Amino acid sequence: MNRPFPSTLAPVPPIAGRTLDAQLHLMDRQALDNDGVPVTTVDDLELSGPALETEIPEGTPAPILTALLTGPVLGTRIFGGRPPSSRLIRIPWKDVADVGVVIKLGVSGDSLDAGWVERWIRDKIIARIPGGRHDPR
Amino acid sequence: MILGDLLGTPVYDSDGGRLGRVADARFVVDGAPQQLMAEARLLGLVVSPHSVSSFLGYERTGVNQPWPLAQMLEWRHRGSFLVMWEDIAMIGEKSVRLREGFTAYSPALDGAGQE
Amino acid sequence: MKRLLGVALGVLTAIGGFVDIGDLVTNAVVGSRFGLSLVWVVGVGVVGICLFANMSGRVAAASGRATFEVIRERLGPRAGLANLSASFLINLMTVTAELGGIALALQLASSVHYLLWIPVAVVAVWLVIWRVKFSIMENVTGMLGLTLIVFVVALFLLKPDWGNLAGQALAPAIPGEETASSYWYYAIALFGAAMTPYEVFFFSSGAVEEGWSVKDLVQSRINVLVGFPLGGILSVAIAGCAAVVLLPAGIAVTSLSQVILPVAEGAGKLGLAFVLVGIVAATFGAALETTLSSGYTLAQFFGWSWGKFRRPAQAARFHLSMIICLLIGIAVLSTGVDPVLVTEYSVVFSAIALPLTYLPILIVSNDPQYMGEHVNGRAVNVLSMVYLVVILVASIAAIPLMIVTGAGS
Repeated sequence: MNRPFPSTLAPVPPIAGRTLDAQLHLMDRQALDNDGVPVTTVDDLELSGPALETEIPEGTPAPILTALLTGPVLGTRIFGGRPPSSRLIRIPWKDVADVGVVIKLGVSGDSLDAGWVERWIRDKIIARIPGGRHDPR
Repeated sequence: MILGDLLGTPVYDSDGGRLGRVADARFVVDGAPQQLMAEARLLGLVVSPHSVSSFLGYERTGVNQPWPLAQMLEWRHRGSFLVMWEDIAMIGEKSVRLREGFTAYSPALDGAGQE
Repeated sequence: MKRLLGVALGVLTAIGGFVDIGDLVTNAVVGSRFGLSLVWVVGVGVVGICLFANMSGRVAAASGRATFEVIRERLGPRAGLANLSASFLINLMTVTAELGGIALALQLASSVHYLLWIPVAVVAVWLVIWRVKFSIMENVTGMLGLTLIVFVVALFLLKPDWGNLAGQALAPAIPGEETASSYWYYAIALFGAAMTPYEVFFFSSGAVEEGWSVKDLVQSRINVLVGFPLGGILSVAIAGCAAVVLLPAGIAVTSLSQVILPVAEGAGKLGLAFVLVGIVAATFGAALETTLSSGYTLAQFFGWSWGKFRRPAQAARFHLSMIICLLIGIAVLSTGVDPVLVTEYSVVFSAIALPLTYLPILIVSNDPQYMGEHVNGRAVNVLSMVYLVVILVASIAAIPLMIVTGAGS
């Protein structure tokens, strides 16, 4: 393998905004809704581009993060393959309020598609068992 | 596109020489402001010649404890570099090709890894 | 004064909560076969669990993140799922063993067959998880578990030859009729019984349940550093009782009734009453902890809402998964499999799986992104690297030894 550059690399030129590394700061992190209730883990991320297998013209604006993904995409990330785009469960990036050791969302979990399994199990099973809505505190 | 598909993809230079694989993607939050956080645009890709299991990002942070575990994990990522979006010529299903004369930057993050 | 009471309560529940069916059975088996020649392993295990609980408690307090969230985040989905599968299955095995332990103890107290007690035990465990406040659950089972101190009392009442016991403990030698491989196999079993992974899932998730912050770190450190070693003394007393009564009689422990035989001999009917209360409380407490741990691990891996501090309806998948685990426990036990045997396997598998949870916690507890200024100190890191080696060796050696010794038989 040829490495056409020295072993000490130049630092990245200064950038105005905060940087986030996908694997280090976003992927597999817990997402909480605006009440601090866990919604899901970030199973994958969706980008606005670029088109695959096509030459990227110089000066093309960089793609942006459009959504946090969850649902069947976890299974395909582990075992390979890819769910159809229609089956991806998205949390739009514009709903993200803060990224720290958890990802805070600025919306209620009840409004998100990502919470439908939880809501289904709550409504069909857990809430029907006596005491299911009892506050333990 | 889905980021998970891009991670682990082999990276080649313009002559078809293999440089490593995509270990991570770096974003910078400086795009158009929205209600909560600004848009996050792709700054570039972290390419690692040896191992793509990001496994803790020891190569990018200043963490050097506990000895010798941190050093071993960092060593697995020796030679990794950051390449900017502007230097990417094409992203395909099975390969990423860089432009001729691309610049390899240090993948290091500032401070405690959370700039 | 209130703070002092809090510390005392924390220490006492840590002692009472230290012993579970794994410690009871393994220590008694070891005592009845090897005397006190393996007691050093309890010491190694206690220091290990103190270190491990200290790190995971600190991670939880400093970052608010429980163990399995961290494991998924640091290992990624693939290695994380492999880890989850192993940890979850072993934990399920421990749930089954604890449920069986409750039923066996109730059988000893009532002479009603243990299989009839299993549904009772499971319903009771579920009701507590469903309804009872976390801190009450912790404190009541921990305090009742303290009655196991009767093992220490019984050991004194048996008036053993202390010099002989000390000799076994301080100059360990493999008894003539045992092989070196079974000696080391039981060393790993004892180590696994003292350092069960569920204790760490439970400890770190419990810290989140009780809303610990870095201000509570001092108290948690005292609970761990005082409570666990004193709990370790209970373990040693269990082995000691077996070494004094069962070893000379040539009885190798294979049932719970043999575990408590020395107490009956040393401390009579009253002692027997105490030990039965203690065993029911200890196994019941551990059944709660392991059942909760199975819910914690799943919920934290997948990012579900979890915690006893929420209404069940606000943590629906968490509660449903625990109900399913309890049902699996019933199904396994109703096949008539011997709970003592399940216990003996579960402690060895715990030792095998230990590196999977230990390593990510060790790494994260050094990461200032999570820990801020509360990263591991140098001394803790040196000790934890030594333990990483110990844990890896035990984990790698366990399966070959299990095959060579026919699981210790």
